[in-house]
Amino acid sequence: MGGVLMLILPEIIVALSGFALLVIDLFLPENKKHLLAPMALIGILAALVSLIAILPESGTLFGGRFVINSITTWFKILFLLGAAFTVALVWHAKKHEQIASGGEFFVILLFTQVGMMALISATELITLYIGLELSTIPLFALAAWRRGDNLSGEAGLKYVLYGALASALLLYGLGILYGITGHFELNLMRDHLATSPALWLAAALIISGVGFKLTLTPFHMWAADVYQGAPTPVTAYLSVASKCAGLAFMFQLFLGVFGGQLSEWHWLIELLATATMTLGNLVAIVQNNIKRFMAFSSISQAGNLILGFLGPYPEGAPSMLFYLLGYAFTNMAVFGVIVWYADATGRSNIDEYKGLSRTNPLMALVMALALFGLAGVPPMAGFVGKFFLFSIAAKAGMHWLVAVAAINSTVSLYYYLRIVRAMYIEPPDASFSRLPVSPVMQTTLWVATLGLVFLGILPFFYDIILRTTGNWMTVFAGM
Amino acid sequence: MGIISWLIAIPFLTALAVLFTPSRNVTWFRWIAVAGTSIHLILTGVVTWLYCTQSMPNASIDSASFFSTLYMVENIPWFESLGIQYLVGVDGISVFMTILTSIVIFAGVLASWNVTERAKEFFALLLILVTGVFGVFVSFDLFLFFIFYELAVLPMYLLIGIWGTGPKEYSAMKLTLMLMASSALILVGILALHHGSGFHTFDLTQIAKANFPVEFQNWVFPLVFIGFGVIGALYPFHTWSPDGHSSAPTAVSMLHAGVLMKLGGYGALRVGVYLLPEGAKTWGLFFMAITTINILYGSFAAVRQKDLKYFTAYSSVSHCGFVLFGIAALNFIGIRGAVIQMFSHGIMTALFFGLIGMVYGRSHTRIIPEMGGLGKRMPWLATCFYIAGLASLGLPGLFGFIAESHVFIGGFFGNPWSDPDVSKWLTIIATLSIVVTAVYVLRGLAKVFQGPLDEVKFHDLTDATFPEKLSTGILIERVALGGMLPWYAIDLINSSLAPIINRLGATAGTWAGF
Repeated sequence: MGGVLMLILPEIIVALSGFALLVIDLFLPENKKHLLAPMALIGILAALVSLIAILPESGTLFGGRFVINSITTWFKILFLLGAAFTVALVWHAKKHEQIASGGEFFVILLFTQVGMMALISATELITLYIGLELSTIPLFALAAWRRGDNLSGEAGLKYVLYGALASALLLYGLGILYGITGHFELNLMRDHLATSPALWLAAALIISGVGFKLTLTPFHMWAADVYQGAPTPVTAYLSVASKCAGLAFMFQLFLGVFGGQLSEWHWLIELLATATMTLGNLVAIVQNNIKRFMAFSSISQAGNLILGFLGPYPEGAPSMLFYLLGYAFTNMAVFGVIVWYADATGRSNIDEYKGLSRTNPLMALVMALALFGLAGVPPMAGFVGKFFLFSIAAKAGMHWLVAVAAINSTVSLYYYLRIVRAMYIEPPDASFSRLPVSPVMQTTLWVATLGLVFLGILPFFYDIILRTTGNWMTVFAGM
Repeated sequence: MGIISWLIAIPFLTALAVLFTPSRNVTWFRWIAVAGTSIHLILTGVVTWLYCTQSMPNASIDSASFFSTLYMVENIPWFESLGIQYLVGVDGISVFMTILTSIVIFAGVLASWNVTERAKEFFALLLILVTGVFGVFVSFDLFLFFIFYELAVLPMYLLIGIWGTGPKEYSAMKLTLMLMASSALILVGILALHHGSGFHTFDLTQIAKANFPVEFQNWVFPLVFIGFGVIGALYPFHTWSPDGHSSAPTAVSMLHAGVLMKLGGYGALRVGVYLLPEGAKTWGLFFMAITTINILYGSFAAVRQKDLKYFTAYSSVSHCGFVLFGIAALNFIGIRGAVIQMFSHGIMTALFFGLIGMVYGRSHTRIIPEMGGLGKRMPWLATCFYIAGLASLGLPGLFGFIAESHVFIGGFFGNPWSDPDVSKWLTIIATLSIVVTAVYVLRGLAKVFQGPLDEVKFHDLTDATFPEKLSTGILIERVALGGMLPWYAIDLINSSLAPIINRLGATAGTWAGF
């Protein structure tokens, strides 16, 4: 029993930290509230350490309803990484963004983590759906966290409406799937799946649910407004942890249930990937608000991400996980700078970043490196991750798709360079002087920058992901 | 760390040294950059000497092989599961190109003596750029090659955008986007080669052993050739070049026109013709025709230019056309001419852009009709300009002549896989450019340096300073030495060119399974 408990220790730590914070918050005097963020961070980091400790192990719990293996563990590492960065950003930004008015913020954040962890570990529809809702519904509240702010309220409302619709469609799809197969367990559903018109309907409904979570075109509509309106750390969380959860969800359904069909569904992946990256990139060009801009940027990244489903090949899942790992560090570096700059100056438009390289050269360098990472410029982790994903598309014989994706990277470089241009080429306003950077933000950005530069240069990280998840096709899709 | 890794590491470490120098004094950055590039120059000399001593005994074996023989190889596994390794080494072509780059960056640093605005970032970016260039010339793993290629292209954006002149932001963006879009084609080609070979490796020397089907080669070759052609100013994708070169600061123009454009020819030869000989045979004549347009279009456009930099940029388009023309000729003399032309044009155009920067820094104009008689006040610069001009119109005794005569002879003799009459006629048409070149070079230089001097406007002009004399002197020495003693260069590259030709001449796939 002790061994089994070890396996869900990370979940236990996260859930307990959530409850603990809820109680501590009640008794903490107002002037000590700033201690909540480090407490939450400690909980998350403890869970991360325990995850890394159990990394290669696998097992099942609760009568087979909850499975732990290297793939689920890697996903959990990604979720927690996103949460850790988010908490650090909140810690830095709490005064200005008015988000840490109480401990509830961290409690909700930690509960979404539990939801995401359940989402990837679930083996049957009920747990899966509960995990999904637990990781989504609290986010509605987080998006609308800035009370009295119209944009934030709009963000919350839009997120709720779209989210509810997507959930309803998804539930309908899952219901049909149950009707076809007569099973709740994902692997039994896969075994009993028969091609029928109802399957197509179910698949279409499920894709819309997955597409919502992962911001695939044409289900991405909510992203821009929500990203813009939500408090910036929440936006960062949406773009990293929530996106990882979206991929986890896609893993569960696309591989867990439709695994056998996947090699015949290339056209679907191609279509979604092409549409997502192209639309994300083209619309990002005309954005002025940096958060909206990052929304479209992260939409286009999702388009690259799902290239890993092509094939499927043994290096598919490792490549996607590696890409997400690099993406987590890279995107968090960008959001770190955005939070810091908005905090210090109240500015959030792209052209307002002008002259940053003169006033704060290091911050400008971090931002530039991170943006190059997002654009896929070597030697950043973003490039290596993209290269591996493109390689999968080439392996599947889709050279035109590689061309589309690579040209899209060029387009994305254009808009990322807009920010670099503002920071490096345009002169600063005369009144601007060096802006202070808090120690929390410095640490966060150092970690993120080291990650985004060295993940791709040192082969260790990809190798360990590959070594532990190379058997993903057997584990997930029974192939 | 082997000696080849140091070739890449030295500019990078110099860049770091510049970045982390706490001083705000510009002289520091200059001297660090000069020190780094001088050490590099010495190291390049050592590498050349080592290469010569190691390869001379094997020259006849290397020449008979189907595969380029590498010397001073370092091979460290990187992403092993994907067949990616850190594989660097040199063959004759790499050594030749490394010498070129080493000289041009040294001259470029000297020519940037008067950069004072944000000098730290300037020298750091310049050195990072050149790290990428060295990396491309010595890496024989396609993944590594691509990384260095992009590393060489991207710093250009900031270098032009910050320190440029004129419509610099437009030019910088245009250049970056066109080159990045072309690298997308290269990426498709690299991945296709990787998966097509079936060897699960990005090691270029291994992929060379694959026997790619002809249909495969027929679609990959144009992708790769055009992908690299864009940076080699292949018509009609050359449009980034005049804008980019004319907006860039002096040293950047020198490096870009002198070295970066050579990455195109080098890549087209190494990845294109070497790996995909059958594709090259199919497309040879087509690209020969395109590059003929290149050569003529560039030279005719140069005639009409009023700005000295645009003038040289168009002349570069024409001269880079020679490189790709020679490669597309697909015979020994043509390809040899192409490689020599890469070197000679690199030196020559670096000299041109360096001189333009020096003249502009004094006269504050680059418009040809506004100048006149400057030779009276700056005899050194004028003489250098004339030598560069004469080299570019192919005067015997200078390096340009050796290169162009090779290219034209190669083109004239053509190859067995394409219509000999067509390639003959294309060559004859292309040679017309020599006349046009003579027209624009002589007319332009006569206007700038001869005739009456406007005493009021140009009363305070001075001749070259010592760093400038050193910078131009080194380049002039190369142009002259190469022209008079060309066999050193030819001997250096001959045994490395032979495998490329052997592969073209053999029946497809004879070498497979070695």
